[in-house]
Amino acid sequence: MPMNAKPLIQVENLHKWFGMLHVLRGVSFTVQTREVLVLIGRSGSGKSTMLRCVNFLEEPSAGTIQVGDVVVGCNPGVQPDDKDILAVRLQTGMVFQEFNLFPHMTVIQNVIEGLTTVKKMPKDKAVALGEKYLAKVGLLEKRDVFPIRLSGGQKQRVAIARSLAMEPKVMLFDEPTSALDPELIGEVLDVIRELAYEGMSMIIVTHEMGFAQDVGDRVMYLENGIIVEEGLPPEMFKDPKDPRTKNFLEPIKKYHTL
Amino acid sequence: MAVEALSPPVGQPPDPDYQMGLDLMAFQQKQRRILSIKIAVVWLVLLGFVISFLLFIEFDFAYVVENAWFIIKEGAKWTIIISVVSIFFATILALLGALGRLSKNSIALGISGFYVSLFRGTPLLIQIYVIYLGLPQVGKSLALLGASLGLPFLSTVGDWFILTPIQSGVLALSLNYGAYMTEIFRAGLQSIHHGQNEAAVSLGLSRWQTIRRVILPQAVRIIIPDIGNQFIAMQKDSSLVSIMGVWELTYMANRMARKDIKFMEMFLLAAAAYWVLTIISSWLEGLLEKRLSHAYER
Repeated sequence: MPMNAKPLIQVENLHKWFGMLHVLRGVSFTVQTREVLVLIGRSGSGKSTMLRCVNFLEEPSAGTIQVGDVVVGCNPGVQPDDKDILAVRLQTGMVFQEFNLFPHMTVIQNVIEGLTTVKKMPKDKAVALGEKYLAKVGLLEKRDVFPIRLSGGQKQRVAIARSLAMEPKVMLFDEPTSALDPELIGEVLDVIRELAYEGMSMIIVTHEMGFAQDVGDRVMYLENGIIVEEGLPPEMFKDPKDPRTKNFLEPIKKYHTL
Repeated sequence: MAVEALSPPVGQPPDPDYQMGLDLMAFQQKQRRILSIKIAVVWLVLLGFVISFLLFIEFDFAYVVENAWFIIKEGAKWTIIISVVSIFFATILALLGALGRLSKNSIALGISGFYVSLFRGTPLLIQIYVIYLGLPQVGKSLALLGASLGLPFLSTVGDWFILTPIQSGVLALSLNYGAYMTEIFRAGLQSIHHGQNEAAVSLGLSRWQTIRRVILPQAVRIIIPDIGNQFIAMQKDSSLVSIMGVWELTYMANRMARKDIKFMEMFLLAAAAYWVLTIISSWLEGLLEKRLSHAYER
C-alpha cells in the first residue's frame, strides 16, 4: 500500500463525553482502503464508542471524522449537518452485537430495506441484489422466513448481508459474536474472515483474540478513552510494549494459545 | 408447540416412551376441559341469580322483547357510528401527539404536552358541553366582528363553530381519547429497543423513515390491545352524547323508560346491548392481534 494514499477513514482528536464522563480523550487514527483494523480493550475502555462515532450513532463531542470524501468537523454545541451524516452512513455498514434485525420483516425484506427506502432502488433490482448477498452469507434458502425462526448465528449473518447489500466502503463490527452461543461463533467469524480476504475495509471491535490476530492487519489497544498501543497483530499479542497492554493480554494469553 | 409434539421427529429413532408424552398431553387437555365446564357452571349460577332477582321485581320481559329491536336498531347504529369515527380520529390525533411528545422541537413538544394535559385533565362531559353549547359563542363573536369590520366571510367562519350534536360528540370523544391514546402511542414507540433505531439509521434511513418503516409497525402490534381497551371504553363513554339528544342507545332507552315508566327494563336492555358490543369488539381486537403477531410465531 503506498504510504501517500489518502486514508479511507481519518479520525482526528476525537472526544466523546457522556454527561461528565470523558469516554474518548482525543483519539486519532486512520484506516486505509482494504485494511482491517481490530480494536481491543476492556469493557468501558471506549472502543465501542469510538466505532459508533465513526458513523455518528454517537455524536462526537469534538473532533474531525473523515470517511471517503466526506469530512465532518464536530465541536461542542454544533450539530453536524444531517446531509453529511447520511453521506457517511451510506459509506459505512454497521453490524451490532445484538444483530438488530427488524423482527416484523422477512429476511429478504430486512436485506432490501435500505436499498428500497434509502436508495430508492426498484424492488426487483433490490431483491436480486439482496439475494446475491444472502447467498454470500449462505442463507439464501431462508429468504422468506421471519428472524424469530433463525439461530443467533444465522441472524448475525443476515445482519451482515443487510449491511453488505448497501455496498459500503467500510464495514464496522461492534462485538459481532459476543451475544452468540459458543457453537455459533465460528459461522459468523468465517463470513467476516472471507470478507477480509476479499479486501473489504473493516473496523472490528472484538474479544475473540485468536480471530483478531488471524484477520487483523493492525490491532489497537484502548484504555480509558486513549489509544495505548497499536501494531501488527503477531507482534503485539506476543510482545506488547506498554505495561497496560501487557496487563490486559497476560490473563488472556494464559488460557488461549495465540 | 403442541402440534409438533404429536408427531415424532423425522430422522430420529422412535422414542420408546412416546406413549407417555401422549398420555400426559391427554391428561392436561382433560383438566383444561374440566376447568372450562366448572367456569361455565359458575356463570350459569350467576345468571340464575340475576334472573330470579328480575322475577322478584316483576321485570316486564314482554315489554323488553317488544321494544328491543327498535331501540337496538336505531340506538346501536349511532353508538357504533360515533365510536368508530371517533376512535379513527383519536388514533390520528394520538399518533401526531406521540410524535410531538417524542420530538425535540419546542413547538411540537409544547403543543402536544399542553393538549394531553388539558384534555386528560378535564371531564369528558364538560368538554362535550363546551364544544356543543360553548363554541357557538365564538361564532357569534366572529359574526359581530365581521359585521363591524365589513368582512362578511368572518360570519361564515363563525358558522363553523356551531356544531350538530353528533359533530360535537365525535369531536369531544376524539380529542379526549386522543389525549389518553397519545400516552399509549408514546409508550409503545418508546418500548421498541433502541437497537432497532440504530440499525435503521445505520442503513441511512431518516428519522421519519425509521419511525414509519421500523418503529411504528412494531409499536402498533404492542399497543393494539390498549387501543382495543380504549375503543371499548369509548363505546361506553359515547353514552354521554345522549345529553345532546343524539339518538344513540342510552338516549333511546332513557326516552322509552321515561315514557312508559319501565326504567329497569330499558336500562338493562341498553346495558346488555353495550355489553354485547364490547364483547364483539374485544373479539375483533383478538383477531387483529393474532394477525399482526404472524411474524413473531416460531
